[in-house]
Amino acid sequence: MLRPRLIPVLLYKDGILVRSKSFSFHQSTGDPVEQVVRFTEWKSDELIYLDISRDNLYNSDQGMSTVGSTSSKREHEAYHTENFASVVKAIAKQCNIPLTVGGKIRTLEDVQIRLKNGADKVSINSMAFERPEFITEAAEKFGTQCIVASVDVKLDETTNRHEVYISNGKVATGLNPVTWCRRLEELGAGEILLQSIDRDGGAKGYDLTLIKKVTEAVSIPVIALGGVGNNQHFVEGLEAGASAVAAANIFHFTEQSVIKVKEYLSSVGVHVRL
Amino acid sequence: MKYCSKCTYPIIAVNLTMSDEGVCSGCIVNEEKLKLDWAGREREFQELLLSYKNKDGKNYDCIIPVSGGKDSHYQVWYVKEKMGLNPLLVTYYTHNYTKTGEENLKNIGKVFGVDHYVFTPSYKTIQKMNRAGFKKTGDMSWHFHNGMNTTPFQVAVKLNIPLVIYGEHGFVDLAGQFNFEDRPEFTARHRKEHALRGYDWYDFVGLEGLTEQDLLWAQYPSDEEIAKVGVRGVFMGLYVYWDGNKNAEDMSIKFGFKPNPEPFERTYRLTSNVDDIHENGIKDYLKFVKFGYGRCTDHTSKDIRLGNMDREEGIGLVRKYDHVIPRKSFEYFMDMTGMKEEEFFTTADTFRDSRVWWIENGEWFKDNLWGEPSSYGKVHLPKDAWSKYIRAK
Repeated sequence: MLRPRLIPVLLYKDGILVRSKSFSFHQSTGDPVEQVVRFTEWKSDELIYLDISRDNLYNSDQGMSTVGSTSSKREHEAYHTENFASVVKAIAKQCNIPLTVGGKIRTLEDVQIRLKNGADKVSINSMAFERPEFITEAAEKFGTQCIVASVDVKLDETTNRHEVYISNGKVATGLNPVTWCRRLEELGAGEILLQSIDRDGGAKGYDLTLIKKVTEAVSIPVIALGGVGNNQHFVEGLEAGASAVAAANIFHFTEQSVIKVKEYLSSVGVHVRL
Repeated sequence: MKYCSKCTYPIIAVNLTMSDEGVCSGCIVNEEKLKLDWAGREREFQELLLSYKNKDGKNYDCIIPVSGGKDSHYQVWYVKEKMGLNPLLVTYYTHNYTKTGEENLKNIGKVFGVDHYVFTPSYKTIQKMNRAGFKKTGDMSWHFHNGMNTTPFQVAVKLNIPLVIYGEHGFVDLAGQFNFEDRPEFTARHRKEHALRGYDWYDFVGLEGLTEQDLLWAQYPSDEEIAKVGVRGVFMGLYVYWDGNKNAEDMSIKFGFKPNPEPFERTYRLTSNVDDIHENGIKDYLKFVKFGYGRCTDHTSKDIRLGNMDREEGIGLVRKYDHVIPRKSFEYFMDMTGMKEEEFFTTADTFRDSRVWWIENGEWFKDNLWGEPSSYGKVHLPKDAWSKYIRAK
């Protein structure tokens, strides 16, 4: 039997890691690499690392983000270069657990660069909408197991309908998430990273209806993301059908957070890997 | 350089971010602070405190790291007098205390009738750490950041006291680094990455002849030790509405806290950062050297958010104070370390951030909050290191 996975997510924006709210307000949580070390030490099952940089600034001499660890250093860390590949390389070096890297993947070469620098999987979002056959091409070239289709969904409160968004949650596609996830499976995606935009950073729990609908419609694993505010929310996500439960913000703020969540899950009868 | 449209912070300020509308995270978080259910949060904090109270009276209930300042007085008053817990105060004593700071530190144990654990590293080690900290990180007070974020946890682990209570969360308050909703706690990562600027004790072994044994006090307990005692470090300011100005007033009227008796050279506030001679002195001047802003930017941003002054007034104060070289703390440091003035300014120049500073006609230039860029004096850096500071016209 496959054990349910607990997956921390890190968001990288313009040289630093950030806490996100509603995909729009981002606060610094610090250095792009240090937290990877901790998540590995805390025995996370996997790590998802998403590049949400608004512009293509990967060189700290050009960006204005300052983290404690660079503030008193004369030179910036070596991974602050002109591209994201050096960041992937630096984090992969510290990461002894399966690493999924996402953000700004538009070509097979983009996939290859990330895998070559140490990612185990890549997540693809906007490009799957713009050119669905890209998922098939990537799966054929690199294997289904390393292609994660990332799907961002917003709930329209007035109509109570879910809709898929792309481009950092800014552009509506008119797609229904259930239909879209089925299609992604057919195209060759190995997993789905299902994220709720309106739940992001709100700590009110997952969008359980969304998780139920999607997991009933597809047979590939679904990773739930967006809205976790306490330990019980993870349990709810698994009960709604997710194969893996992911969260970003909650893991940043307390000591040995991943270990403590796993201890909790285990105590209520969820068979996570301790 | 971009500046926040509401307060006086530049976007490069430590741990700050800016929204697309040009408002800094500090101002955004402060607005959230005003809307929170503080009564509910305070109840939550009181329940947390009481859950750590010893039933059998055989140990201290918690640790309060104190510097002796206004907020320290307030924390001890709250935990001991208001909540009836038995805290152990812990201080990392730096040899850099001001006279008023020392009086306040002694006052705190006396007026509240609590035990106080004061740890002091050898004077020789502190001399060396002042030099090494300055040369390596551009901050002679690095040892102080380390001590106040390490000693309480060494004591917690040794004496089996699981709860450590800090006061205000500095980075939340100034930079809006975290959300109140997240209730961030103390972590090893927070300590190293934010409080200690990405360095740890082992980065100093071998500098100025420092050995591992000289730095035993600077070593944070292991994950296993922390887990075994179940140590948690919480920030009281996330649960109890924090008003530093009011704390200063209350604590000085009722419990004898003393503000600084004379004006500071680098800021107008007399009640903040009273303890350590370098806090409002050259340690802070070096922040200006690195990033082009100083303590007065911190203080005016806070006071603008609190409604104590408008932005124009804040800008005027920043213009008056941020660049000032604080002679008193400067001479104290030179005397302690035996460093020469030229070495100080040349070393300081190596920390100038090229996103802020550029060189023109052999002088340092930067953008200003009030408009036109201007010169901030002669460049001490050797000419072969100038290239990254020369901007295309």
